Amino acid sequence: MTKLTLRGVSKAYGATQAVRRGDLEIAPGEVHVLIGSNGSGKSTLCKIVAGSVRPDAGAVLLDGEPVAVSGPQAARALGIGIFYQELSLAGQRTVAENICLTDLPRKAGLFVDRRALAERAQRYIALFEDVAGDDFAADAVVDRLRADQRQLVEIMKALATEAPVLIFDEPTSALDRAQVERFFAILRGLKQEGRSMIFISHRMDEIFAIGDRVTVIRDGETVATMALADTEPAAVIRLMVGEKDELAAAAPQPAAAVASGRAEPLLEVEGFTGAGFHDVSFAVARGEILGFGGLHGQGQSAVLRALFGALPHSAGSVRLAGRPLASRGPRETIRRGCAYVSGDRGRDGVITGRPILENVMPIHYLRNRLVLARPGALRDKARPALEALRTKFAGFGYPVSSLSGGNQQKIVIARWLIDRPSVLLLDDPTKGIDLSTKADLFALIRELAGEGLGIVLYSSEDAELLANADRILVFNGGRISRELVGDERTRYNLYHAAYEAA
Amino acid sequence: MASVSSPVHGAAPGRLKRLFERYPFLPALVILVVLLALNGVFAPNSLSFRALTGLLSTYLALMLLSVAQAYVVFASDIDLSVGAIASLVNVTIIVVMQQLGGGVPSVLLALAVGLAVGLACGLANGIVVAALRLQPIVATFATSIFFTGLALYVLPVAGTPAPAVFWRTYGGRLLGVPFVVYLALGLALVLYLLARSRLATQLLAVGDDAQAAYQSGLPVTLIRIKGYALCGLFAALAAFCITGDTASGDPLVGGKMTLLSVAAVVLGGCALSGGFGTAIGAVLGALIIGLINSLVFFVGTPSEWQNLVQGLAILVALMVGIMVSRRARA
Amino acid sequence: MSADTTRSDAPPRPRLRLGALKAPVVVALILIVALLALGEALSPGFASFEQILRLLIVAALLGIVAAGQNLVILGGREGIDLSVGGVVSLSAIVAGNVMNGADGGIAMAILACVATGALFGAFNGLGVTLLRIPPLVMTLGMLGVLQGLLVVIRQGIPSGRAAPALSEFVTRPFLLGLPGIIWLWIAIGLVMAFVLKRTVFGHRIYAIGSNEHAAYMAGVPVRTMRVALFTLSGVFAAIAGICLLGYSGSSFANVGEQYMLPSIIAVVFGGTPLAGGRGGYTGTMAGAVLLVILQSILTTVNIDESGRQMVFGATLLVLMLFYGRGRTMRA
Repeated sequence: MTKLTLRGVSKAYGATQAVRRGDLEIAPGEVHVLIGSNGSGKSTLCKIVAGSVRPDAGAVLLDGEPVAVSGPQAARALGIGIFYQELSLAGQRTVAENICLTDLPRKAGLFVDRRALAERAQRYIALFEDVAGDDFAADAVVDRLRADQRQLVEIMKALATEAPVLIFDEPTSALDRAQVERFFAILRGLKQEGRSMIFISHRMDEIFAIGDRVTVIRDGETVATMALADTEPAAVIRLMVGEKDELAAAAPQPAAAVASGRAEPLLEVEGFTGAGFHDVSFAVARGEILGFGGLHGQGQSAVLRALFGALPHSAGSVRLAGRPLASRGPRETIRRGCAYVSGDRGRDGVITGRPILENVMPIHYLRNRLVLARPGALRDKARPALEALRTKFAGFGYPVSSLSGGNQQKIVIARWLIDRPSVLLLDDPTKGIDLSTKADLFALIRELAGEGLGIVLYSSEDAELLANADRILVFNGGRISRELVGDERTRYNLYHAAYEAA
Repeated sequence: MASVSSPVHGAAPGRLKRLFERYPFLPALVILVVLLALNGVFAPNSLSFRALTGLLSTYLALMLLSVAQAYVVFASDIDLSVGAIASLVNVTIIVVMQQLGGGVPSVLLALAVGLAVGLACGLANGIVVAALRLQPIVATFATSIFFTGLALYVLPVAGTPAPAVFWRTYGGRLLGVPFVVYLALGLALVLYLLARSRLATQLLAVGDDAQAAYQSGLPVTLIRIKGYALCGLFAALAAFCITGDTASGDPLVGGKMTLLSVAAVVLGGCALSGGFGTAIGAVLGALIIGLINSLVFFVGTPSEWQNLVQGLAILVALMVGIMVSRRARA
Repeated sequence: MSADTTRSDAPPRPRLRLGALKAPVVVALILIVALLALGEALSPGFASFEQILRLLIVAALLGIVAAGQNLVILGGREGIDLSVGGVVSLSAIVAGNVMNGADGGIAMAILACVATGALFGAFNGLGVTLLRIPPLVMTLGMLGVLQGLLVVIRQGIPSGRAAPALSEFVTRPFLLGLPGIIWLWIAIGLVMAFVLKRTVFGHRIYAIGSNEHAAYMAGVPVRTMRVALFTLSGVFAAIAGICLLGYSGSSFANVGEQYMLPSIIAVVFGGTPLAGGRGGYTGTMAGAVLLVILQSILTTVNIDESGRQMVFGATLLVLMLFYGRGRTMRA
C-alpha cells in the first residue's frame, strides 16, 4: 500500500511549464529519491505536496484517499513536513524558536512556554550533537550561523513536525561528511518507525547510500521509478538526460594555437587577495579558455567577482592588456572591456519584468555613453547578438520573465556581445539551465575564444570544465592548489586535487 | 556617537553584538541616557521627580502610540492611521462620558467603548492590508481619512471638556505617587508579558520573511490582522492618555502624532523592514523625542527656532541610530 | 522580424483587447469619465468647460509633485519621498519673498526655488545612498526639518506675494483657452514619457527599480541615479510650490502638507506599484486628475465634512482594490 500518491500533477508559471505530468508513489517506511537536472521540476513537485504551490491539475492521495492540500497549514495538519531547499527560517530568531516556530508551545493560551520550547528544541539539537559545530546553540540567532548550520536548523525544523511524510529538498548541499552521516543515521531511524521520506540530492553516492527507490524527472515529467538496488548511477544519469546525452561528449577540442604555443597574455593576475581567496596568481592568454575547478565555494566565484570589481580585494595587482586594472567597480572594468556572467541570473543578471530589449542594452549604453535610446537602432544592434546564441523569443517588447531560464541566461550573455569585450569572466554560467542552451553557450564561448577573447570559466560541473577548458586551475580553500594542463585534465586528477587537504 | 560606536570595535565585539541582538533598544537607551544627562546639565531641575513625571504625563500618549506602531512594524507593516484612531477614540470617550453624565461608571463604560472602537479600527486595517492585500502605506492612509471622518462625525469641533474625575485622576496622585507612574509601571508589565507572547514571536517571524513563515505553516494573514488589532488597542490606550492630558475632545488631535510614532519606532531600534525590534524600544524612542524637545527648550533656543532644531536633532538621531544598529548587527 | 524563425515556444501576444481594459491608465480614464458624469448628474454644470479647467489646474499642482514622487518610487528599494509637502511649502514662501509681487523677480524666484528643492532632494538622496537610511525614515526626518524651517522663516519675514504674471500663468487662459500651468503640465508629461521610454536614463530608472543588483552588475551607476531621482523629486516639488503661490496669490502655513500622501496615491492609482520598477507618468497624471475630481465631487455634494471624509476614505480603498493588489503567498 502506498502512503503518498501524486497523479498527473502539473504546474505552469506564466509561459514556463515547471511540471508537466508529475506521478509519484511513496511507500511507508521508504526513502524515495527524486532525481532530475536543475529546473526539471523536483522542487515544484515537493512544494505542491507541501501546500505552498497550487497545482494546475492532478491529484494528491494520502493513504489512498484523495486530499486537498490547500496550504502549508493544511499540509501540516495532514502530516506532511518539508525541508525547503531555499530554507524557511526567520533569520533574526533563535535556533530554538525556528525549530518550534510553526507550533510554539503555549502557556496560558497566550504566551510562549519558554521551558517547553527549550526542551523540545533541545531534543532535535541533540540529534546533531558533536557535528553541528561548537558555536551552535539553542539561543544562537540564525543569521549568525554558517550555511551548513542553517541547513541543520531547517532539518531540525522539518523533523520537529514529527510528520509521517517528510520531504527533504536538497538537505545536504552545504553539509560536511560527518553531518551527512549523522543525518542519514537519523533517516534510517525514521524509516524503522515506518515514516515515508522524499529525498532530493545531486550526489550519486548519497542517493545510493540512503535511497530505497528512485523516481527520475525530466523536463517536468516523471520518466521512471525503480529500486536503487536494481540499478546503477550510469543508468540513472541516462534517464535524467534522455537522448541529448551526446552533448557532453561532443565538446570541441581546444584551439591548436593555445594548446601548443604561448599566445600573448591578456589578463595577468598577481597575488590577488580578498575575502574568501588568498594570493591567487594566473594569466589568461588571448584565445584561451582558462577553467576554475574544485569543490563548490573554494573562492572561484569570489575571485571572478573581485576581478570584475563587484567585490573588494585587499592586495594584488591585475593587468589587462598590459595596463593595470584598478577595479573600483563594475562600471570601470566594463569600460575596460571586462565582461562577467553570473550563474545566479535572478540576482545578478536579469532585470526582472523589463522588456527583452532593455535587458540586452545596459552594457551598450555604458560603453558608448549613450543618452538616447532609439528602439529601432537598438533592435538592430541586439538582433545579431541574440541570434548568435540562437535565442528563442517572440519580440523585443516582451518581458524577459516570459522566457525560460535558459533563454533568460542567453539574454544576459547577449548583453556582452554587442560591443565585444576582451575578457569574459564566466561564473558558473550554466547553473540551472537546460542542456541545449548549454550546448549553444559553449559553442559560442569557443567561437569567442577563436576571435581572440580571453575567457575564464568557473563551472561547478566537472564534465563541463573538462570538456571546455584548455587549462584548469583547481581551487582549494581560497588558493590555487593545482594546475592541470593538457593530458592531465582528467576527472581523476580534478577530483584528486579538489579533495586533497590544502 | 563615538561613545556608542567605539565599543563595537573594542575588546569584545562578539559579546556586544549578542547583547544587541537580545536587546535591540540598547542604542536608544544610550541616546536616552545622554539626553537625560544633557537635560540635567542645562537644567538641573529637569531631572527632578516632578519634572520627570510631568514629561511622562505629556509623552505617555506618544509612547503608547509608538508601541502600537511597533507591533505592526514587527511584521514589516506600517499603520499611518494610528493618529486618526487615537483621535476617534478621544472624541468617542469624551462624547460617551458627557452623554452619561461624567460620573465614574460613565468613565469606565467610556473606556470600554474606547477600547472596542480602537480594536475595531485595528481589525479594519488588518483586514484591508492583510486579507485584501493592499499596500500598507496607502491603505492605512485611506483608512485614516475614513477614521478622521468618523471622528468629525462624533464631535465636529474641538472643545468638549472631559469630566473632572477623568483628568484629575490622570494628572493627580494616588497614595502620594503621581497616577502616571502607575500607568507607566502597568505599561512596563504589559510590554513584558507581550514580549513573551506567541503573537510577538509570530509577528517578528512574519516580518523576517513572510514567505518563509507562510511556507512553515504559520497563518500569516491572521497574524498580521492580529498585529493591527493590537495596534488599534494601544492606539485607544494612547487616546485615553491624550484625553487625560488635554482634558478635552479634539477630532484632529492625533493626526500629528502618526509620523512621530514611526520616528519613535525607528529610534527605538526596530527595523522598518520588519523582523527586528522591541516594543520597549519604541517607548524609549518616544521618550527620546520628548527629551530632545525639552532639551531644545532648556538650552535656550529662541522659540521660533525650536521646531527647526528639534527637527534636525530628530533627523540626526534617526540617522545615527540606524547606522549604529546596522554596525552592531553586521 | 527576423526573430520569427525562432519563435517556437513564444508566449501568446500580450496585446489582447481585454487586457488593455485592465491597464491602470485606462481604468483611471474610465473612472474619470464616470465621475464627471456623476458630478454633472449631482450638480449640473460640474462637467462644464470652466469647471473642468479649474479641476485640471488643481490636478496639475498635484500632478507636478507626483512627477517627482513617481520617479523616486520607480527607482525602487522602498523609494518614497515624504518630504515633498515640506518642499512645496518652502518653495512657495521662497518664491513669494523673492518676487514679492513684482514680475521682474519671477526668474530669480524660479532659480532660488529650484535650487532649494534640489538641495533638499539631494540631501535626501545622499542620506539614502551614502548612509543607507531607508527612504521613508530619511524623508520623514527631512519633513520635520522642513517644518521647523518654515516656522523660522515665517516668523522672520512676511509671507510674500505672487507676481501678477505668475498668477495669470496659473489661472488665466494662455493658449487655446488653457492656462499656462496646464501647458506646463502637458510639457512635463511629454518630457517624462520621453525620458522614461526613450532615454538611457529612463531605462536605468526601471533597471534599478526592478533589480538593483543586476543593474549594478551591468554598469548602471545606481547611487548616482538614486541621488538624481531624489533631487528631481525636490525640484518638481519646488516647481509645484511656485505654481501654488501663483494659484493662491500668497503663501500660507504648510500649504504643501496636503500633497504629501495624495502624491503617493496618485502614483499608485496611475499604475506604479510602491515596489517600483514598473509603471510610468502618464498613469500618474490620470491618477492625479482622478483624485482631484473625486475630492471636488465630494465638495459639490451637500454633505458635511465628516461624511465627505468618510466617503473619500472609503472610495480610495475601493479604488485601490482595482490596482495591483499584493501577491498571494501561495504560488
